[in-house]
Amino acid sequence: MASSTTIAQQKKPERSLSPWQIARRKFVRNKLAMISSCFIVLVTLMSLSAPFLAPVLSPLPDISKVNIGAMNIEPNSEHLLGTDKSGRDVLTRLFYGGRISLLVGFSATLMVIVLGTLVGALAGFFGGMIDSILMRFTDFVLNFPFLVFVIVLNTILYGIVDGLWVLIMVIGALSWGGVARLVRSKVLAEKENEYILAALSIGCSPFKVITKHLLPNVVSTIIVQGTLIFATMIVIESALSYLGFGVPQATPSWGNMLSSANEPDVLQGKPWIWMPPAIIITLTILSINFIGEGLKDALNPKSLR
Amino acid sequence: MLKYSIRRLLGMIPMLILISIVVFSLAKLMPGDSLSGEIDPLNTDPQYIAEMREKLGYNDPLPVQYVNWISGFVQGEFGKSTRFQIPVFDLIMEKIPNTLLLGITALIITYIMAFLMGMYSGRRPYTLGDNAIAGFNYIMLAIPSFVAAVFAIYIFAFQLNWFPFAGSVDILAQEGSLEYYLSRMHHVLLPAIVLGAMSTASYTQFLRNDIIENSRKDFVRTARAKGTPMKKIYNVHILRNSIIPLVTFLGFDFAALIGGAIITETIFTYPGIGQLFLESVTSRDYPTLMALTMLLSFLTLFGNLLADILYGVVDPRIRLD
Repeated sequence: MASSTTIAQQKKPERSLSPWQIARRKFVRNKLAMISSCFIVLVTLMSLSAPFLAPVLSPLPDISKVNIGAMNIEPNSEHLLGTDKSGRDVLTRLFYGGRISLLVGFSATLMVIVLGTLVGALAGFFGGMIDSILMRFTDFVLNFPFLVFVIVLNTILYGIVDGLWVLIMVIGALSWGGVARLVRSKVLAEKENEYILAALSIGCSPFKVITKHLLPNVVSTIIVQGTLIFATMIVIESALSYLGFGVPQATPSWGNMLSSANEPDVLQGKPWIWMPPAIIITLTILSINFIGEGLKDALNPKSLR
Repeated sequence: MLKYSIRRLLGMIPMLILISIVVFSLAKLMPGDSLSGEIDPLNTDPQYIAEMREKLGYNDPLPVQYVNWISGFVQGEFGKSTRFQIPVFDLIMEKIPNTLLLGITALIITYIMAFLMGMYSGRRPYTLGDNAIAGFNYIMLAIPSFVAAVFAIYIFAFQLNWFPFAGSVDILAQEGSLEYYLSRMHHVLLPAIVLGAMSTASYTQFLRNDIIENSRKDFVRTARAKGTPMKKIYNVHILRNSIIPLVTFLGFDFAALIGGAIITETIFTYPGIGQLFLESVTSRDYPTLMALTMLLSFLTLFGNLLADILYGVVDPRIRLD
């Protein structure tokens, strides 16, 4: 008797890892994804602390002021990345631009995910009439030429609401179709499982079944999709701003900064004005994509890495 | 098959009507209207303007205006551009050849690049070359097309002087001469490479995976057992089977090229439909804007339809009706 208890004590069963712990371990082991995460955290921190960093790093911390005496200065020890055609410090604007670009990207992604999940979950769970109506509506949104409508809508709403939020709402309202389809297909597959039937048979309300039972099982797909959408949203924001239909020109965003490359003379002779935003956009997009791929691997229980 | 195509084509009609209502409402919501394009711009007498406004139907109730617009529209009456004072139809017809040339060249470039890289990767999977191609494609996919365009202009047009950085043709070239056509090709090449590189990655990876999958099939084993050289198996037997699914990408590319053309044409100041569209937004040229939005929506719908139909044509296992 005594010996058997000691054995039981010695072999204290180790708690097995939860799915999230396994995913975290897999993600941490993925070097590319970890480097990318560090880069994104760094960019976010620098953008958030722009008002505090700017006076330290540059003699011209005010981004709204035009400095006639300091126009088109090449990078030197005083202005690490030079100044633009209005005499504003490029590095400072890069930090402030990050705030706008990341804010637009993040808010639009949030909106897309919430709308898409809502529509997809309702359509998939209830089926029948609700499903056909919601999915026809989704088809309608998906079939719109996206860029064309964003530009037209943005021009109309411009001036009525604050420019930044117009952009976020317009982009968000026109891009949730893909997420809705994805979530619907996942919910359709998931709802055939017996635990859903069990939950329904003991009298759970549809709201509870969707939020407590269905969504936790599709959340990993939504997270991965959300990461990739975040990258797309940053691209859309900067592309629209570059074309002059995005964030108002006075507000610095990476796209607005890059739009100075529209002038052949800046593009040809003053690369320090447009190259920093171009490079940081590319690196940010690449990093977010790597994180997305890393998450996809980590959250996939079938992948062994 | 035919039945399905007709049903889908008919299914496009309510969609187009819905889009036309949206387009019409959007144009009405935008400040100003298209009156100034229709009347004599030099006559500023308020009575004359009010008269013309009444006569041209700008005071009618909105549903009547919509019906008038759409019935003219389906008959090819797109109205007059307020900016250029010429019919919108002529304006679009003038720019469409440029956009078509750009789109087709971009597609050809996509196909050539994707075939070369996809066939190499598919034949030698998991080698250094395959990984390099995958890495290259990944970066091409991640770089936004407008950033790529800006870098392309900077490097190839300004630093290396290989390509012109703007326009669609050398203004000095005589129309109809050989130099004229060469100059046009020269102008279209850089924007087409940027536009074409955008979709190369997905084509390449698809082709690679399909070749790898096909190389494990029974018909390959049979061919090998008969003693067919590996080169012939890959270039004839497998490639024939792998090209087929690629056809379906064509439809989706349609929509992608439209969106891509707006950005690329603007950056390269290439006078095509995309640039015309953006200019019509900035200069509030409503008749042009409405016509182009409808046209671009129609093309997107048509592209999606084409993708679905081609899917059934190339793969008989998929039943459409």
